[in-house]
Amino acid sequence: MKVLIIDPDEARAALVAEGLADVKPLEVHRVSSFEEVEGDLPRLAPDVIVIACESPDRDTLESLREANAGNPRPVVMFVDRSSPGLAEAAVEAGVAAYVVDGLSAGRVRSVLEVAMSRFGLMQKLRADLHKAQADLASRKAIERAKGLLMSERGLSEEQAYRLLRKLAMDTGRPIGAVANDLLTFAGVLKGDDR
Amino acid sequence: MSAARTDLRLGFIALSDCAPLVVAKEKGFFDAENLNVDLSREASWANIRDKVTMGALDGAHMLGPLPLAVNLGVCGEPARLIAPMSLNLNGSAITVSAALAQAMRDADPQGMSARPRTARPLAKVVAERRARGEPPLTFAVVFPFSIHNYELRYWMAEAGVDPDRDVRIVVTPPARMADRLAAGAIDGFCVGAPWNVQVVTEGRGEILIYAAELWRVGPDKVFGVTEGWAERNPEVLMAVLRALIGAAAWADVPDNRPELAAILAHPRYVDAPEEVVARSLLGSPPYALGEPGPEGLDYLIFDRYAAGFPWRSHAVWFLTQMVRWGQIDPATDIAAAAEAAYRPDLYRTAAADLGAPTPLVDEKVEGLHASAWTLDEATAPIAMAPDVFFDGRKFDAAQPLKYAAGFDIGRLKA
Repeated sequence: MKVLIIDPDEARAALVAEGLADVKPLEVHRVSSFEEVEGDLPRLAPDVIVIACESPDRDTLESLREANAGNPRPVVMFVDRSSPGLAEAAVEAGVAAYVVDGLSAGRVRSVLEVAMSRFGLMQKLRADLHKAQADLASRKAIERAKGLLMSERGLSEEQAYRLLRKLAMDTGRPIGAVANDLLTFAGVLKGDDR
Repeated sequence: MSAARTDLRLGFIALSDCAPLVVAKEKGFFDAENLNVDLSREASWANIRDKVTMGALDGAHMLGPLPLAVNLGVCGEPARLIAPMSLNLNGSAITVSAALAQAMRDADPQGMSARPRTARPLAKVVAERRARGEPPLTFAVVFPFSIHNYELRYWMAEAGVDPDRDVRIVVTPPARMADRLAAGAIDGFCVGAPWNVQVVTEGRGEILIYAAELWRVGPDKVFGVTEGWAERNPEVLMAVLRALIGAAAWADVPDNRPELAAILAHPRYVDAPEEVVARSLLGSPPYALGEPGPEGLDYLIFDRYAAGFPWRSHAVWFLTQMVRWGQIDPATDIAAAAEAAYRPDLYRTAAADLGAPTPLVDEKVEGLHASAWTLDEATAPIAMAPDVFFDGRKFDAAQPLKYAAGFDIGRLKA
């Protein structure tokens, strides 16, 4: 079985390809846009096309549902009626599958399921990374705000932190946000906005 | 205190005709109806279709023929979609590359100086290329079930160019049209604003004919939801329609158009240069660099001439084109398909809440009026625009098959 992955997110496409390595026998080809393989489709002859919903190429794929000279094998969206909820889950995960021939639903389903789980994994990885970056930025802001309070108000490090924590509790906002505000206002008072 | 706000997720595609949704959000029309709307920009019409039918979106900006095609099972999984409102009239145009425009001018200088421009110069180029053994020209549309596809085919076929045999028609995403034209991958396209004007502004192509010249007031996008959602949320649907009707009226006030251009141009929405978006909303849109189109052309209409009303006759016209080009079986019950999808009854109820004048008929004969007229079969008389087709044909929704079979070029064997 030959699988074509179309995903503008190359890291995610690689993750899907890696996941599909366990589904055998399989040949995986990945591109970021349909344009890259348009003229080459008859030679590549994919059985299944997995495409990210964020790719604008879905409409082009949909137009290949009729066989013609340039496209001898029609492309249709894969909908597995024996697995209720699968199509909804796929849309939720941000992925769609198209089949080019009468493959058995079970084999296509396993490809789609791998793609869905890898899309989910990528989303989690990105969310974790984003959170880690935000945490780091927040910690840096707290350190700088503490330093500012220590130098401007003559507080100890412990006292400076307690003051920030109190401000956070009083305003019901995260301590990192309070630290950022403090730094911004201190900057304004020092004339950094000019 | 006000009632709890209703959260909604509505989808749109980056095109100027998503304006009623964006204006309703940005100018407070949704707020006034206690609706908290999250507008989700989608990458494809297939996404719009799947997300609405599967409930990931409550409703969306849709191509007018899309609900019809989905309900008939020829586009994705069959579902029951309805269009209780039309979002705009006109807005698209047929654009060709600078190279093809030059070839057409060389082949038929007289034809290239006439307006509205027919496809006769194109027919000559097609014949020349065939004689020289060159590959067919390639034109792009955004989706097989779209006014753009039918408009391009109608225009070509009128001049004897068979859109299936004499040229190649492919599907390309709207925002990618300009680059593909510049790269020579396509020779022309039919797409909505602002992507048609964008190419002209960059000097890479020419607009041959605007939708407003081809059919003075032709249908385009609709607001679509599933029938099930509409039945489960009748009051929310009315609130959404009232907000959209108010927003469409706002978007049609000439003095609001500059602000509309600025709002739409935002990266969150159409994501195009403001001056490009503005050119399709204000004054004379251009045919080519330094060649402005006629003043007063109704290039993109949101509210005037009962634009929001989902005419059943528009649905029937789309269905006749699906029959004509072999997309659906001629034995399809066209009247029933139009009636199930296009819901003027729902629009009328929402418009009545606002006291807005509304047609009392569901259909009108198209192509009868060469000049402005008044629709008296309405809750209050409505000023209507000329509605002629460029080839002088008339369309009566009561006889769809006769109309579909009445063209020299088509896939329907009468």
